[in-house]
Amino acid sequence: MITKILTLAWKNVWRNPTRSGVVVIAVVLGTWAGTFISGFFNGMIQDYLDNQLELSVGHVQITHPRFVDLYDPKYQVEQAEAVVDTLQRDSSIRDLRVMSLASGLAQSAVSSYGVTIHGIDTAQAENYAIKQYLTEGTLLKGITRNPVVVGQKLADRLNLELRSKMVLSFQDINGEITAGAFRVAGIYDSFDDRHDQSTVYVDKSDLNGLLGQPDLVHNITFFLDDFTAASSVAYRLGGQFPDLLVRSWYEISPALSYVFDTTDISLYVVMVIIIIALVFSIINTMLMAILERTKEIGMLMAVGMNSRRIFSMILSETFFLTMAGMPAGMLLSWFTITYFGRAGINLTAFAEGLSAYGMSTVIYPELSAVYYFNITLMIGGMAILSALYPAWKTLQLEPVEALRKI
Amino acid sequence: MAVIETQNLTKIYNEDQVPVHALNGVDLTIEKGEFTSIVGPSGSGKTTLLNLIGGLDTPTEGKVWIQGTDLASLSENELIEFRLHHIGFVFQAYNLIPVLTAIENVSFIMQMQGMAASLYRDISQNLLEEVGLADKIDKRPSELSGGQQQRVAVARALASKPDFVLADEPTANLDSVSTADLLDMMAELNQNEGMTFVFSTHDQRVIDRARRVITLVDGKIAEDERRE
Repeated sequence: MITKILTLAWKNVWRNPTRSGVVVIAVVLGTWAGTFISGFFNGMIQDYLDNQLELSVGHVQITHPRFVDLYDPKYQVEQAEAVVDTLQRDSSIRDLRVMSLASGLAQSAVSSYGVTIHGIDTAQAENYAIKQYLTEGTLLKGITRNPVVVGQKLADRLNLELRSKMVLSFQDINGEITAGAFRVAGIYDSFDDRHDQSTVYVDKSDLNGLLGQPDLVHNITFFLDDFTAASSVAYRLGGQFPDLLVRSWYEISPALSYVFDTTDISLYVVMVIIIIALVFSIINTMLMAILERTKEIGMLMAVGMNSRRIFSMILSETFFLTMAGMPAGMLLSWFTITYFGRAGINLTAFAEGLSAYGMSTVIYPELSAVYYFNITLMIGGMAILSALYPAWKTLQLEPVEALRKI
Repeated sequence: MAVIETQNLTKIYNEDQVPVHALNGVDLTIEKGEFTSIVGPSGSGKTTLLNLIGGLDTPTEGKVWIQGTDLASLSENELIEFRLHHIGFVFQAYNLIPVLTAIENVSFIMQMQGMAASLYRDISQNLLEEVGLADKIDKRPSELSGGQQQRVAVARALASKPDFVLADEPTANLDSVSTADLLDMMAELNQNEGMTFVFSTHDQRVIDRARRVITLVDGKIAEDERRE
């Protein structure tokens, strides 16, 4: 009998093909819109996370425990070479950045601005994401004495060009103010205006010369193949180097961690909003269908169709109506997310606004199989949810009353 | 044992507001094989009586026994099952399921009864042949005339092998030729197979063919005429 009820329910769905077709199209578009928007936001957030981590935060950082408070250059990573050796032997670790750092003031003839000075090893230039954002010049090459790479925003503010002279002043390891004249070797323009305005890159040996100790290392940043493993790796290394502060990106940047943690919730909230809209549309359609068939339902009750079967029939009709559009919607979502995941969605028109928030102008939507699976489950749940009220409403009918309806 | 028996059957609508006495203490006995018309002016209680006999409505007072079973003693679900196995219904507006073919409409009742597929297909085909629709079994209701649809409805009513068939104004929507055909067919089923039919009707053509005519006036039996 269940087969017969399912068959009847399926036929009932197509009793009014136009109306059912409209609902099916609404489900297809709703599923597609919700899934694609989820993919778009996910791509945007993942891109934001990846960019921020690549540009400045890294996956794990090792510093002196007191360095992070005031950037006092005397708090260096002791026996940095031994630490680096240990890290280089670990196959899960890549792109080591061994830096000295100073917090100081960048001055030109026209203005000054507070900056963080990164002293980097030019031999490891490939490990620095900043290289890909260079718009002019080179990463500390071509200028023999004290080259510096500045962001476009800072260059604009200080009126700097390639080969312009600027002064960086900061505190040395003895607590004395020191300064050096640098010449602009390169200008970069990343997706993050705040970073571009407040970060400059110099040769580590030049910076260390001014800080007062040639082998200073303040920060060792590195990357992992799986950035979600950062906490466990940091915990493990913290045990190996108890005198050092080993932090994962989750601890270094709670804001990024929050974005990462809330990604899932944000994506599902978008989907739930669309699903709620679809639920009401489907309930409305089913209530109309039931209203039109009140007499017929009364007849079915009269001739002996029990409430369980009638409930099952209406439940199945609503379920079919919803699920008929779902596969097409999911397929369309998968196709468009895959296509734009490769081709990207160019948002250059909004570049200024996006850079202010540290976001790229090309978004590559992406969605894991788990999301597709969960969205499928949510739509299935929606189908059942939408079905309950019309089915319950049917059960309120009395056969003798229903048969009287015109 | 009587197929249908009622005692002091009373139905009052709107008891709390302006009471409408649809039936006022109807005592009725219908034996197996009867071909009975319930007649009377509009508002006399014909449909109410049929609804109460068919277990579609509950009386305000009085009792209905079908083959000795007191309908009031059955729970709602038991009553639905009882209707499925013991009572055949024919409605004025045919009330076939539009998305099913003639044979599917007839089979549906037997499927609900839990009959095996190998059996109900043959039985449905035989029933449709009996009502003269052997060549229309795969037609949907929209492809059949009113008379043909009502024949399918009769076949459906007979499919459950009921104790009797209740037909509420079965000819109201039919032309005279279709009415005559339908009545011939039902009379034949009554004579050949002993099927009990109870009609409510205004239609003189139906009344003329009935072997018993019960006239209701103001919810009471005013006349109970038996014909040979």
